[in-house]
Amino acid sequence: MGKRVAIVEVAQLPGAMSDANFLQQLFEVCREVMDKAGMSRKDIGTVVSASSDVFHGGISCANAYYWDSGAGFLKSGTRQDGESLLAFQYGVMRIMTGHYDTALVFGVCKGSENPATDAITHYFADPFYQRQVGLNETFAAALQMREYLNTYGITEEQCAKVVVKNLKNALGNPYAHVKKRVTLEEVMNSKRVMDPLKEMECAPQSEGFVALLLASEERAKKITTKPVWFKGFGSSMDTYYLGDRNLLDGQLRNAAKRAYDMAGITNPWKEIDVAEITEAYAFQELLWYEGLGFCDPGGGGKLIDTGLTERNGDLPVNPSGGVLAMNPYVCRGLYRLAEVSLQIKGQAGERQVDRKVKTGLAHGTHGFAGQFHAVAILKG
Amino acid sequence: MGRPVAIIGSGQTKHGRRTEITYPDLVREAVQAALENTNITMKDIDGIVYGSMPSMMEGVAMTHFYFADALRAVGMPMMKTETCGTTGMSLAHTGYYWIASGMADVVMVVGSEKMYEGDSQATMSTVMEPYYLRYFLAGAPGIFSMQAQEYMSKYNIPEEKVRDAAARISVDHHKDAFDNPYAHIKVDLSMDDVKNSRIITYPIRLWDVCPNSDGACAVIMASGKKAKKMSKRPAWIKGLGFCGDEYWYGDSDKISWECATEAVKQAYDMAGIKNPRKELDVAEVYNPFTFVELLHYECFGFCGPGEACDLALKGVFSRSGELPCDPSGGTLCTNPIGATALIRVAEAAMQVSGNAGAHQIPGAKLAFAHGLGGLSEFNGIMIMGSEL
Repeated sequence: MGKRVAIVEVAQLPGAMSDANFLQQLFEVCREVMDKAGMSRKDIGTVVSASSDVFHGGISCANAYYWDSGAGFLKSGTRQDGESLLAFQYGVMRIMTGHYDTALVFGVCKGSENPATDAITHYFADPFYQRQVGLNETFAAALQMREYLNTYGITEEQCAKVVVKNLKNALGNPYAHVKKRVTLEEVMNSKRVMDPLKEMECAPQSEGFVALLLASEERAKKITTKPVWFKGFGSSMDTYYLGDRNLLDGQLRNAAKRAYDMAGITNPWKEIDVAEITEAYAFQELLWYEGLGFCDPGGGGKLIDTGLTERNGDLPVNPSGGVLAMNPYVCRGLYRLAEVSLQIKGQAGERQVDRKVKTGLAHGTHGFAGQFHAVAILKG
Repeated sequence: MGRPVAIIGSGQTKHGRRTEITYPDLVREAVQAALENTNITMKDIDGIVYGSMPSMMEGVAMTHFYFADALRAVGMPMMKTETCGTTGMSLAHTGYYWIASGMADVVMVVGSEKMYEGDSQATMSTVMEPYYLRYFLAGAPGIFSMQAQEYMSKYNIPEEKVRDAAARISVDHHKDAFDNPYAHIKVDLSMDDVKNSRIITYPIRLWDVCPNSDGACAVIMASGKKAKKMSKRPAWIKGLGFCGDEYWYGDSDKISWECATEAVKQAYDMAGIKNPRKELDVAEVYNPFTFVELLHYECFGFCGPGEACDLALKGVFSRSGELPCDPSGGTLCTNPIGATALIRVAEAAMQVSGNAGAHQIPGAKLAFAHGLGGLSEFNGIMIMGSEL
């Protein structure tokens, strides 16, 4: 493996609809992360962004549109599409080779100007079979949830508890989009959008502008006293047609194993101090617990019942409020990573978890029922 | 810097109008060809990099899902790189960094486009933002038309001369394409055929323009150690460069074209190249329009500013010339956009490995590949050599 790489600073904007123009918002978040590090645009080695086109933002080759606002002018750069954690991986790779000392990694998604998320995810479906039946991410998630309930006897209440927990956490997060205290009854009684999924169990559609500054070991130590080190990364892709897949044991296990192996983690439950995971639908948090090895298959329901994943628990999951509180589609993975970095730095403010945080995990997923997963491990 | 990386083989589809095949099957054809070309199996591969033009091109969003199986990516780590027309080059760079960083040993890089299933110019018009640029920069020809005129006026070159040089490029490349089994448009043209073809956007005429193509390309890269085991003649990656400039078309000089000169400087510095025309044996320049190829010769230091027309007319950049450019026929004859710059990389690698068949440049040891994208806003370079 190449050189050590650290996240030195992070900046993020709130998820609520903003009147500011897309380019202005991107400029602000890039400016903020550079200011925090005491750097100017000249000091940035390379730029790796994450965004998606047309359906997410109305512009094709969006990276061309925001290139100069994202500090890219006359710099070497590139972009990852779909999952923003990949932009982080790529930024790390670029520094590891020694070609660059610093990398600006950012994700952008102006949710308030996009069509409804499911109008977009509907276009993930092939035009011949799956699109004809109206498949989209919520549709696929509802099928996955039903199978989860039936197979393991997980209850709808256990799934709804995720919403109560995460939205409670979001109250302490100034960047969260949805901020309200909700009760289990309210979640259970919210409208069924696609049985058995309820409205409050589905993530909102948010704006998202998040930037991370990465640096090589030598540079990182000069910039900050609290570098957050890259330790491991893994991703995995599943087969395409929903009917061909095991919806309860997909590729997350694979992605997590790759990340754990790279980071030298053998017992994730013991070794990880905080996890930020992409739960676009409440039950998925429980299912992802299993994929990440926090509990055995089918144990997600019991785990939420124990309260151990609450902010003051043994392994706090989504202390930021998670994706249920804020869902800027493409860049939600980088938001997870930013939150884990802040937790490790001890700079998460009101939402700082009770336990000492040394090792953190960020997870991202997109596609029908989690067709693609990525997992990153960070260490203080 | 980083570990050495080499290209050990590649696969291309037969490019053209492929209405007989679905889009996933087109991707599968390139992947299969690359596996056969390198004689390895998926067990040897650690990761897949994929990319294409944006979703509007074929009406499917985030095609990496749809193509997961065709890419043989199921259960594999994957990256999805997209940077517009430069996508193919950015894909190759992603594969390079994945291996050079030590995070993977062998990576398959795939780019594709099935342009007959969509409307490429409508898609390209949405690269321009909806308030100002979209109204007058309709599609790709608008951009290159302005760049061609800016070129003539900046150096005060008579229009007839630029026209002749561009026509010469068109005639040469369309002829070269006959020797490339994968090329799309193969046609014997005279200078007059080109000069009298119908106007697309002044001064660009039909035979100055690349086609829409359906096609895919897969390139397999490996770390130094693995490459020596897996291939007799690996193409070593010697230099990389990528640079982007202003999005707002009117705000930058597209002749003293900074993103081109800066990208190529990065690549030459890394590869230790001082005199590109002498040191390079062959170049695969991304030439969707004839005029822009002339401009690239100058930006890449193949000749001085304003000299490209004279040298092109003398045949310096023809197949038997001092620095043959696009012996494959280039983008001008084959343009499945998401794959196009990756095809440049594959072709350059084939040249230094001595596997280019009928369009082999004899004894090629150092080759240059290029991608162009955005509103003439991105340039990406990769230089490959037969020696480490």
